[in-house]
Amino acid sequence: MSDSARIHTPDIPLGRLIRMPGGKNVGQALDDAEKGLQSLRGESMKELQRVLEKAGDYYSRAEGKFNPLLVNAFYDLINGAIGLPTVGKDRAIDSMLVSLADLLDYYRTSGEWGDKSVQVHLSTFQLLLRTEGARDPEGTAAILSGLQKVSRKAARG
Amino acid sequence: MGFSTDSRARFNLAQVSVLLLEETSLGMSILVQILNGFGARKIHRCDTVEKAEKVVQETDLDLLIIDAMGRSGAGYDFVRWLRRSGIRPNCYVPVILTAAHTPASAIARARDCGAHILMAKPLTPRAMLDRIVWVARAGRRFVECDSYAGPDRRFKVSDLPAGVAVGRRREDGVSVPG
Repeated sequence: MSDSARIHTPDIPLGRLIRMPGGKNVGQALDDAEKGLQSLRGESMKELQRVLEKAGDYYSRAEGKFNPLLVNAFYDLINGAIGLPTVGKDRAIDSMLVSLADLLDYYRTSGEWGDKSVQVHLSTFQLLLRTEGARDPEGTAAILSGLQKVSRKAARG
Repeated sequence: MGFSTDSRARFNLAQVSVLLLEETSLGMSILVQILNGFGARKIHRCDTVEKAEKVVQETDLDLLIIDAMGRSGAGYDFVRWLRRSGIRPNCYVPVILTAAHTPASAIARARDCGAHILMAKPLTPRAMLDRIVWVARAGRRFVECDSYAGPDRRFKVSDLPAGVAVGRRREDGVSVPG
């Protein structure tokens, strides 16, 4: 028998508040928000450079073997960086970070380690940071598609 | 969902009291820039769960944007605490959960902790505005029972299974728009 449940519809003022007179139109609001994000671009790129250096350090210290503490720290580092590149409208780096997070999440739960798979992600990270603003879109898409295949292949074992 | 950038629809966040829980300073800056751009003025920034709990206890809120906070999942635990806290009206307020890496387990956790919706990072202004307008819709029911407290997780309204004449819920077999 299921436990008893109380089902009700609470009053949510948010809808009334956002319909109050004044405010902004959608186009202006989106423009203003994008401009605000642009102001964070420099800081975001600096942080990504730091993340790349730290990731390289973790990779070196792993010495080609699974190390649970290192993999967890590596995963936390990459997880924390997802979202930063899009501040500078760089979706390609974000896609790479998500692929690397998928890979590291698989390794930390399976106890495996794929040195080459991690290395190809870090090389791509470096390449994308260096060529920021001057990339061939088709070439970049091909690289990212390749990375996703690497992550999925690792997860399939 | 989906706004066009040339939409002339207006919205007003100036009086909306928003709590943000995000542990990294750059992550917090991203959220604040988006909300400031939208015209939000009452923003409570919290970089720890303890600070967020204090704000919940002391201030009436209209919207919460909570980060899952990585492997620890402290963000999910905070939302679960909020829904069980009995602190009215805050325990019923819409919650948008954000998360960077979102494996299937994270999505299940977000659904079951009592959040209204999960947004995967990277966050964009357009996606954030879509979600704010969506969670602001009136009429979403709230469920409170031993195993769950939060917005009704059932979205799909489908016909009764074959061979069943009468459903257990009042609205079974009735079309619900949206």
